[in-house]
Amino acid sequence: MANGLIIAAKATQDGSLGDSLVLIIAFILLLILLKIFAWKPVVKMMDDRQKKISDDLDGAADSRAKAEEMAAKRQAELKNSKAEAIQIVNTAKENGEKRRDQIVSDAQTEAAHVKDKAHSDADQVRTEALNSARAQVGQIAIDIAESLIKKDLDATDQQTLIDAYIKGLTNADETK
Amino acid sequence: MENKYQYLTFLGLTFNVANCLSIILTALVVFFLVFFLSRKLTMRPGKRQNVLEYLIDFSNGIVKSIMPGDEGKPFYFYIFVLFLFLLVSNVLGLFLEIKVNGFTFTKSPTADPMVTMPLALMSLVLAHYYGAEKYGLKGYLGNFARPVGFMLPMNLIEEFTNFLTLSLRLYGNIFAGEVLIGLLVMMTQGAGLSGILGTVAAIPMMMIWQGFSVFIGAVQAYIFATLTCVYFSRKITRE
Repeated sequence: MANGLIIAAKATQDGSLGDSLVLIIAFILLLILLKIFAWKPVVKMMDDRQKKISDDLDGAADSRAKAEEMAAKRQAELKNSKAEAIQIVNTAKENGEKRRDQIVSDAQTEAAHVKDKAHSDADQVRTEALNSARAQVGQIAIDIAESLIKKDLDATDQQTLIDAYIKGLTNADETK
Repeated sequence: MENKYQYLTFLGLTFNVANCLSIILTALVVFFLVFFLSRKLTMRPGKRQNVLEYLIDFSNGIVKSIMPGDEGKPFYFYIFVLFLFLLVSNVLGLFLEIKVNGFTFTKSPTADPMVTMPLALMSLVLAHYYGAEKYGLKGYLGNFARPVGFMLPMNLIEEFTNFLTLSLRLYGNIFAGEVLIGLLVMMTQGAGLSGILGTVAAIPMMMIWQGFSVFIGAVQAYIFATLTCVYFSRKITRE
């Protein structure tokens, strides 16, 4: 122990003013060199990073808001388009029905028309046929009668006789 | 074991070679450590950059715990270098012991009051400088008479005791660690009490004490840096 105390006693006298000077110079040099070579670039990098992170966070919030807005817009558009689609389909249906009805009614009217026309044609043909038959039958009958009886019949008497005959024919035809 | 030192005399000043070498070695270690860690800086930090940024955050944290706002910003760099320098110099003597012809050439430079005193002096001069810069010379001088005039002598004495406590606390802690290690080394060499028994008992004790000294060195570096911050903050704020 005594030995240790001697060390202590001696050691307090070991330092000298020169050491203080060396320390101050060395420390100031260290400060200057570290400031230039390490501190400035590192702190600049740290500040840059901090700035970048906060910028990125701001940007993320912005783009998030934008995305939400866009999604809402899309949703609304989707809803609109659904309604529109339904409307389109409905219109198409309506048009289709209208068109169908029209086609059917057109067809019906045309069919009626065709039927009427056919009727009238048939009537006309029949009356024409009857008329011509009436005229021809008269002549034929006269010719036949002339040739058969060789007797001159009064043309007018003959005509009334034939008319009566034809009337009987027509009546028979209608009752058939 | 007795430490003998070589002395140089230059321009009327005496230089302790062991102290000077250790101081320069410490400065080199700190510089190259930080220089090595600060290469290849990128936005996404690599391992080395992470270590350095952790150290910077730690020393910034010391300042922020005393001065939470922007007023602490000018001191970040000084506290960073001061903390690293003290940390390295406090533990240097535990790792490294170079002796040539019985003369010691490396030791903890902070185990010497002539080294801790200029460190404390630098910190306090800086504190006074920032105080004068903030309040102007008149306001700075007037601060000595605050809060009331008759406190002036007390405040002046306080400045002096601040200086002494700051430097001698560090010196005392590190020096005590070195003395105890010296004693334990003496015991392992059988120069102490009881030969082989002493050696066997001393080796584990020495290991424990060396580990504890590393802890003390780190704590003292932290305390020195914190107190420096306290003195800074007291000079740039009015109570």
